[in-house]
Amino acid sequence: MTAQTTNNQLPSFEDVANALAKMIADKMDIDQSGIKPESDLQELGLDSLDTFDIIFSAEDYFKIKVPNDQVKITTLHDVAALVHQLILEQNK
Amino acid sequence: MVNWSDRQRVVITGLSVVSPLGNTLADLTLNAFAGVSGIKRLDAPFVDQLNCKIAAQAQFDPAKHFTKHTYSMLDRVSQMALHTSNEAIKDARLIIDETLKPRMGVFLGTGMGGIHSIEDGYIRLYKDGASRIKPFTVLMSMYNASASAIAIEHQLTGPNQTFSTACSSSAVAIGEATRLIRHGYVDVMLAGGSEALLTYGSMRAWEALRTLAEEDADDLSASCKPFSADRTGLVLGEGAAMLVLESYEYAVARGATIYAEIVGYGAANDCNHITQPSVTGQAATMQAALKDSGLAAEAIQYINAHGTGTKLNDVTETNAIKKVFGAHAYDLSVSSTKSMHGHLMGAAGALEAVITTIAVTNNQLPPTINLKHLDAECDLDYVPNVAKILPKLEYAMSNSFAFGGTGAALILKKLN
Repeated sequence: MTAQTTNNQLPSFEDVANALAKMIADKMDIDQSGIKPESDLQELGLDSLDTFDIIFSAEDYFKIKVPNDQVKITTLHDVAALVHQLILEQNK
Repeated sequence: MVNWSDRQRVVITGLSVVSPLGNTLADLTLNAFAGVSGIKRLDAPFVDQLNCKIAAQAQFDPAKHFTKHTYSMLDRVSQMALHTSNEAIKDARLIIDETLKPRMGVFLGTGMGGIHSIEDGYIRLYKDGASRIKPFTVLMSMYNASASAIAIEHQLTGPNQTFSTACSSSAVAIGEATRLIRHGYVDVMLAGGSEALLTYGSMRAWEALRTLAEEDADDLSASCKPFSADRTGLVLGEGAAMLVLESYEYAVARGATIYAEIVGYGAANDCNHITQPSVTGQAATMQAALKDSGLAAEAIQYINAHGTGTKLNDVTETNAIKKVFGAHAYDLSVSSTKSMHGHLMGAAGALEAVITTIAVTNNQLPPTINLKHLDAECDLDYVPNVAKILPKLEYAMSNSFAFGGTGAALILKKLN
């Protein structure tokens, strides 16, 4: 599964957040409607490895590379911001 | 030397399987004793690329037993191991309380561990040209992942070890777990094996060894023919089998139903050749189990043979049995249930221990199917094609031998 980028249009922050919420819902077997940008990943049931796995899926989906830097990730918003920023940077 | 006066008796109180002959004890019993084969055309997307297109697959859908979150982080080998552990605990009606947790452990055998996860990673890297592989690859493929998952699920803080001695792995795991209980280190053990090696790369590697059976032209389910003159080799299988073992005292104190007692375990190495078995090595294995049990050779009435369906194994094992049992070799019965469930490698010893337990419990010997033209060099009673009733079956042995030379034999006793 990869993101549709028609006419070189890059996904918006909301597109990224929605796609990540779908990945989380699918992985954790939970309802996507309960996942908000401010949702704490740990409270959704994700441990550190689950978070790595979501980031890994996001790399595939958005065709980006997430560097191995230490980034503090607590909420869905944090992941979406990181991924969105990398999409912008890596598609220049 | 074993101090006979201190040692605990070890009994089997729980059984569970995921196997080519079914995933419940009832189905396994029905099929294994009716001579039904679980060997079929391999159901895999890569089957047309293989020369050998047959296997003994387990019909196991992890989504029926686990949440997606749980099963997506476990290789198929661990999914089957965890499921059979859960079911074996239920079958034993075992309540794992705070006192038991540190007194209960997990010993597991596997030959190739999480090979599905390794192969998925390699396909990504080498075939698809990706530069990264799944973050869980290490955790899903490491050999001890299955035993670890079981311990975490049930909070079993006792010894947790994984044995990998190829085809004898799970027989070794059961034998070593028996010793642990016998010498008082623990009260209860989950012991068994799991194997999920029906991947493209693994099948290709096995093909290259030229030990796999050719398809029977008339009936592909009859392709594995141990002790038969027209045998062509072994058939790979997958599955898991788990036993709950406990000290006799612990079992009696909690009012457990006991299937059978493990009265002997022996292990030895051929030191002959990486693939070729030796009569002396196999005989030493059986002799070690007999010595451990304190029984005379004449007490053994049935042997569940390693019986792979390769000429070399069948003749060597037959001669080793004759060496150990002398004239009694012609009185006892020997059968290879691999003719039906194929070769489950790391799980073979455990599945065959489960079938041998059922045999002892039910006074019935499972057959060697597809045995129509006995090999002239194999002249024992192999329970050909049809199960046999043995009303006073008391002692049975289960043999496991392996590439690398490690043999393991278990002796089971009916408890009246």
